[in-house]
Amino acid sequence: MKKLYAIIFVTLFSQTAFAVQTIKANVNGMVCAFCAQGIEKKMRALSQTKDVYVNLKQRVVAIELKDGQTLSNDTVKDLIKDAGYEITSIEITEHPVAHIKAELEKK
Amino acid sequence: MQSTTYKQLLPVLFLTTALQLLSFQATAGPMGFKDSFMAMGDFSNNWQELFVNYAITPRDAFGVSATYMRSDDKNKTRTLEEITYTRLLKRWNLPNSQANLWFLGGVGALQGEDEQIGKDNEFDKVMFTPGIQFDYETTRVYLAATHRLYRANDINHDFSSVRAGFSFYETDYDKTQPWFILEARNMNGLSDKTEITPMLRLINKSFFVEAGVNNSREPRFNFMYIF
Repeated sequence: MKKLYAIIFVTLFSQTAFAVQTIKANVNGMVCAFCAQGIEKKMRALSQTKDVYVNLKQRVVAIELKDGQTLSNDTVKDLIKDAGYEITSIEITEHPVAHIKAELEKK
Repeated sequence: MQSTTYKQLLPVLFLTTALQLLSFQATAGPMGFKDSFMAMGDFSNNWQELFVNYAITPRDAFGVSATYMRSDDKNKTRTLEEITYTRLLKRWNLPNSQANLWFLGGVGALQGEDEQIGKDNEFDKVMFTPGIQFDYETTRVYLAATHRLYRANDINHDFSSVRAGFSFYETDYDKTQPWFILEARNMNGLSDKTEITPMLRLINKSFFVEAGVNNSREPRFNFMYIF
């Protein structure tokens, strides 16, 4: 019985700690891939980043974090500002970048 | 002679100072993002330019540039090596578009040669090149206007250009997007006519190239690369 509790505890804990975390930001002014590459390069340079997705049509940048990593909204806003753009909204989602990409490309 | 030089340079210095004072805010066309290098090249028979700059902030970049200019009749040639400064004076980040106002400027060494019957005239001068550029872009439309002074004592090769274009279709971020761009430009004192060049532009997230043939049936090639 103790073993069962331990397994349940470990399973729950690991799911909580390592749930996928993706920061999804809406960005104004992002009209050209050549110019927007700065956003992708700056995001990929972070040690917390697992994957980055940029969608020019929907003006979305999604940053999927590595397991157990966090990244503040302010850091993301500052990096996007350094790349020359402005964030209009930001949210945290549990969907991986691949899911967000599939959803946005359907539109 | 010296007072003439100062009088000629005064408007240039005034313009440079005024534009810098006007630049209250902004963030990066002619420069990349913060901590990036941008290399640019513009090649035609009468105008060849290589330019590299480094963005020290999201809106300021310093660089070096080498330019070769030649008159239509091939009698005048100029080479210019400059230290350049680029500043994003103002950026408008809109939901489906972006507009920018830029200051472009440089100071450098000009070497010139004017071929004349009986005797060629060779000279070395200091050249100042302040200018402004405005551009507006969506994922389908591009507009830009540039005016840049190229001034030295008794020399005026001011450069003006207007560009307009459209993309053939929208693409994903990691795909290459083709554009049609039409440019009209003039180099004062080197050409009496306006050079018109239709170009095909290809933009990818890692490269930017343009190629066309101007109204004198001469080839033109431009590129930009950020690293």
